[in-house]
Amino acid sequence: MIRISEVYKYRGHECVINGVNLVIPQGTQVGLIGPGGAGKSLLMKICAGLVRPDSGSVLIDGTEVVGIGEVEMTSVRSKIGMLFQNYALFDFMTVEENIGFPLRQLGGRTDDEIRDEVNRLLLAVDLPNTQKLFPNELSGGMKKRVTFARAVIANPPILFYDDPTAGLDPVTSGKIFALLEERRERGGTTSIVVSHDILGMRDICDSFVLMDHGRIVFSGTREEIETSTRPFVGQFWRGEADD
Amino acid sequence: MQPLSPSKLLTRFGAAFMAIALDVGGMAVLFYKVLRCFFPPKLDGMETWRNLYKVGVKSAPIVVVTALLVGAIMVIQSGALVAQFDAFGLLGWGAAFATLREVGPIMIGLMFSGRVGANNTAELGTMKVTDQIDALRALAIDPITYLLVPRFIAIVSMMFLLTIVGDLTALVGGAYTGQVLLGVSPSLFASSVIEYIKLEDLFNGLFKAFTFGVAIAVVSSHYGMTTSGGAVGVGRSVNNSVVASAVLIFVLDYFITSILH
Repeated sequence: MIRISEVYKYRGHECVINGVNLVIPQGTQVGLIGPGGAGKSLLMKICAGLVRPDSGSVLIDGTEVVGIGEVEMTSVRSKIGMLFQNYALFDFMTVEENIGFPLRQLGGRTDDEIRDEVNRLLLAVDLPNTQKLFPNELSGGMKKRVTFARAVIANPPILFYDDPTAGLDPVTSGKIFALLEERRERGGTTSIVVSHDILGMRDICDSFVLMDHGRIVFSGTREEIETSTRPFVGQFWRGEADD
Repeated sequence: MQPLSPSKLLTRFGAAFMAIALDVGGMAVLFYKVLRCFFPPKLDGMETWRNLYKVGVKSAPIVVVTALLVGAIMVIQSGALVAQFDAFGLLGWGAAFATLREVGPIMIGLMFSGRVGANNTAELGTMKVTDQIDALRALAIDPITYLLVPRFIAIVSMMFLLTIVGDLTALVGGAYTGQVLLGVSPSLFASSVIEYIKLEDLFNGLFKAFTFGVAIAVVSSHYGMTTSGGAVGVGRSVNNSVVASAVLIFVLDYFITSILH
């Protein structure tokens, strides 16, 4: 479970995360939506311990991640998988090395076992025979799928997906959302999906959180957000422009 | 152009001072964090080998070419005086003394800061602005242990070893140029080196090479890890790294020479 309480983050004098409170129960997939610059990716990075908030508390499976040292944070992060918006693939490693990297660092597996697991995942993300390619030889959609494979290979109980379909064509976006849905159906994983693709997110999330100007302005299920009478919520969900 | 008012001048001076203090403090903290990883030793073997190869083997040709020319230049510069005073027996000593104690470590240090240091900053900076450093942290891997310690070991050890290679190559270049330009035989050149050059001269230069290596590794890593602002930021960091490394090399050289002289 992830519990975020009274989290504030300032950039200069601007409050970019403004008193956020949120509870994500274990095993649920939450869609974090909102306009650009609302603070979605930043909130996700705070949850992953990559950015330190100015105040507040973030509990990951009961462990406070705000204010703890890098060594303690390492044990928390070993429970987390993260898909980055701009891929963040290690450009000096091949696809095979990138995906197998978390397993190699965890230890306890032979090279053959890691290679088998990488090959299995490459088939699952529809990227066979790409093992020896480097990230600069891949298209955007292929990079996203490699990033997804790297995020899930160690089977972390918590997954953060930061805009997994940004800049992708609708067909590739569909493939990525199918992978996220497949992962959710397997159960047991608590995850947050940040995306602007409301249409693609509708069927793959258990609940939705709408952010604007660093605040949470709505939190609820798909039915609740669809029937919300608040103009901003309805407009954003349906993708309508202001009058 | 209007002259700056005293308060604006003071503000600018203060801002510049704070920026330098921030960089110096950041480098000191980074150096401490890297050193801490040696007790007990924590490093990634594969990454260390990769960096040793990249820094050492790939820098060797340029170091050899530079050192050959440095040795030759030393002889050309001293050639006129040597011929004037008929001191051909001191040609080897003159070239070797300047090369081993000063010119060798400084030239190789500057080459290293331009080639290896700049590359290190650009690599780390690009990793920073493309979230690769955050990706490492998200995978529960300490970037200091995984990225910086192998680079530190590679830069410091290879700077030291390539200075030895460079010193020897410079002497070969000097001996060859002495023969071609002044007719000094390589054996006379070598005997002059052996007779007059002390081990202290060699160690003095190698100690400088070691400290220059530490400076290049720390400075280039610091600027790489603090990069922000995309491609422009990477360019700025590389520029800062090369300038700061060069300045630090001369500052360290001044102090080491003053102390060891």
